[in-house]
Parts: sequence; C-alpha cells; structure tokens
Amino acid sequence: MSQPAHTARDWLEKLRDLNFNQPIRIMNVCGGHERSITQAGLRGTLPANVELIPGPGCPVCVCPEEDIYQAIQLAQHEKVILVAFGDMLRVPVNVAKGEVRSLDEAKAAGADVRPIASPSEAKQIALQNPDKTVVFFAAGFETTTAPVAAMLAEGVPDNLYILLSGRLTWPAVAMLLDSGKPGFDALVAPGHVSTVMGPEEWQFVVQQHKLPAAVAGFSPESLLAAFYSVLRQLQSGERFLDNCYPEVAHPGGNPTARRLLEQTLDVVDANWRGIGIIPGSGYALKPAFSAHDARLRFPDFNDKARRRAGQMPPGCDCAQVVLGKIYPNQCRLFGAACTPRHPIGPCMVSDEGACRIWWAGGVRERAEAAVE
Amino acid sequence: MCLAIPMQIESVDGFMARCQAKGIYRDVSLFMMQDELPRIGDYVMVHVGYAIQKVTEADAQSAWELFDQILEETG
Repeated sequence: MSQPAHTARDWLEKLRDLNFNQPIRIMNVCGGHERSITQAGLRGTLPANVELIPGPGCPVCVCPEEDIYQAIQLAQHEKVILVAFGDMLRVPVNVAKGEVRSLDEAKAAGADVRPIASPSEAKQIALQNPDKTVVFFAAGFETTTAPVAAMLAEGVPDNLYILLSGRLTWPAVAMLLDSGKPGFDALVAPGHVSTVMGPEEWQFVVQQHKLPAAVAGFSPESLLAAFYSVLRQLQSGERFLDNCYPEVAHPGGNPTARRLLEQTLDVVDANWRGIGIIPGSGYALKPAFSAHDARLRFPDFNDKARRRAGQMPPGCDCAQVVLGKIYPNQCRLFGAACTPRHPIGPCMVSDEGACRIWWAGGVRERAEAAVE
Repeated sequence: MCLAIPMQIESVDGFMARCQAKGIYRDVSLFMMQDELPRIGDYVMVHVGYAIQKVTEADAQSAWELFDQILEETG
C-alpha cells in the first residue's frame, strides 16, 4: 500500500484534518527515525494529543554491559587489536573509580583499540596484522549484523575473532506488547531493518495485537505518511501493515542478506542492558564458525562479584528511555550529570541514543517525570 | 548505526565496488546483493560498507538532499 507522492505540507494538512481528540502514542524503534523526527521538528507540527515516543532503537544502548567490560579486558589483558564501531568506544561500564571504564580509556591507557566503520575494515586489519589477534566487537541490529554475516560467509582470516552482540529488533517490541502495558497505540516500523528482513516481520503487531503499523523511511514525508497511516487506521478501525518506504523496503527484504544470516548465525535468547533476557532476540555464531567466536577463544573476564555488573550506571534511566516508558529529558541525570561531553548512560553516548538525539535537537532542560 | 546512504557504483571488481556520493568515494561490498547484482551506474543504499538494496536515481537524489538539510541544520 504505497502512498502517492505528497509533500510534507500535504501530509500535515491531512493529519490535521483527521481531527483526533483522544491521546495517541506512536512508538518508533529506530534511532534514525528519532533523529529525523527531532531534527525536522515533527513533534511540534503534529496535533498536541499525538505523542511520538522513541522506543528500543539503539543497539549500543542495549548492548550488555558485560560484553563491553569483556571487550575492554580483551583489549587490555589479551593484547589483541580490538576493533568496534565508533559508538561503542565511549560507553562506560560500572567499575570502581580509577579503573578503565570504556574502550576509549583502554586505548588511552595503551591498548590497541581501533574504531571501524565497516566489517570489511575488521577483515582488512586482520589481514594487515597476520602475527596479531584481532577481535571485532560487533554490536548492532539486523541491518548491521547482516554485513557481519556476509563477512563471515565470504571467509575471514584465521586471526580474526568476533565478539558478537547482534540483536533483533522485533522481539523487543513483542515483549512490550506481551507485557500488557506496551505504552503505545501504534507502531512506526524501522525502514532499514525492514529493507534487510522484509516488512512482513512487523505483521505480528497488526495480526496478533491489533495495533496499526507502518514501515517508514527517513524523510519527513515518509515519516508523516506513516503517522497519517496509523492514525487513519486508528480512526477507521481498519488494521493493516502499511509500507511508506516501498522504494527501498521491498517485500521479503534482501534475500541474500537473510540467507547469509541463516547460514552463519543462530537466533538465541539474549540479554538487553538494563532490561534483561528477551527470548529469540540475539544472534550467536553457528558452530561451523566457532573457530572465530571470541566467546569461545578467550576466558570470560566477567566476575559476578563486580558491583552493578550488567546494570545501567547508578541513577541512569536509560532502560526506561529505551523501553519508551519515559522521555529522555525525564531521566534523573539528563542534561545535569549526563551530557554528550560527559555521558553516563549509553543513550547519551550513541548517535542513535534518544538522549543524545534530543540534546543535539536543543532539548537541554529536565522535565518532570511522567506518571505511569 | 542504521544510517544508510545511497551511492552510485563507478567500477566493480568481484564483489567490491568503487562507489561515489557527492564526490566522496568508498569501497562497498556487493556480497549481500548476489540475488540481484547491481551494475556500474546503478545506485545502492550502503550501510556499514555493504550495499543492502538498489534504489533509483531519483530516490538517491532525494535522500542526498535530505542529508544536506540535516547537515546544514546541525552544522
């Protein structure tokens, strides 16, 4: 159900004509969506009773604290070259004062930590350093994990190991819906996850939970089309999965990418930082690739006695922000103790974190906490 | 990390393509496009160095315009 070409102004007029009175909460689950919404100022253009809620859309934010801690220890004690997407380098873990608390700090302390922008770079670094061990700490949702799968399928050097923290997006939304208190009335589904996995992955929202859903791209026009679609569905009582990004998110997704994911990785129960285990929400290397699995190759440095292991930092409400239970500026630390320059929680570190996006969008003041 | 940018393919060597977007060049893997291999001159959405989908020239142009606007606003 693609929409005819409309400008953002057309969509805004159509949205106003819907004349909604009751409060409506539309959740997005993609940092790219939240960035477009915030930077284009879309919240201010919608009717006041329509709330746009950023949900679980930031893979860095939910990457287990234990995995980051493990990556720091590997970089420091196993003398490996540790490569990771740049966002991961500044995320702090919970350690005693004076100890190394991020990959950036490990690098400053002499460890060989290198930011990369692509899995291909991890492979290149391994090929260029045959006498060293290279660990690729790979956190990401399906869009990022599929290229990791492609890299594995294409063949990797013997000295390259993967510390995989890949996550699937839809199980987190399913968990919210199954909780009975999802906190939203309609879903805008992520454009590039749908490009890889297929828009159909989001059909469960409509079929099982009877909520409207629409896949959106990243332009204001595509996002407004998706908002219009779900609001119109709420008004009419119709329910269907709309695709407002048909030019890129094709039915069935990218068949090669899906095949590569299936060939190289298993879907497993996985831990989300501050949230807990979500069934079937993570990726792990298949046994055929165990020779490249950093979790099997190296000792586990995680000590259960470490204070606040696995948790968000003290006072940090990132877990609530990720689940869309509060807005970023309702966190107790937002803009005071926690800023992009001195981030405490991962949502203020990552470019896809809602706190960082809101701060960059000009929100600097704390708001009163919402009453659930 | 889910930001994907459209790029135009200028040359291909195996599964690696030299791609260009507004004068910026990158080596891009076409390994995930094996079911519908793009050709020189085609536009692809590129995410973390891998092409994830073909796009039309018009869609590539409008995405580039959007990025220009975002860059202007965020300085």
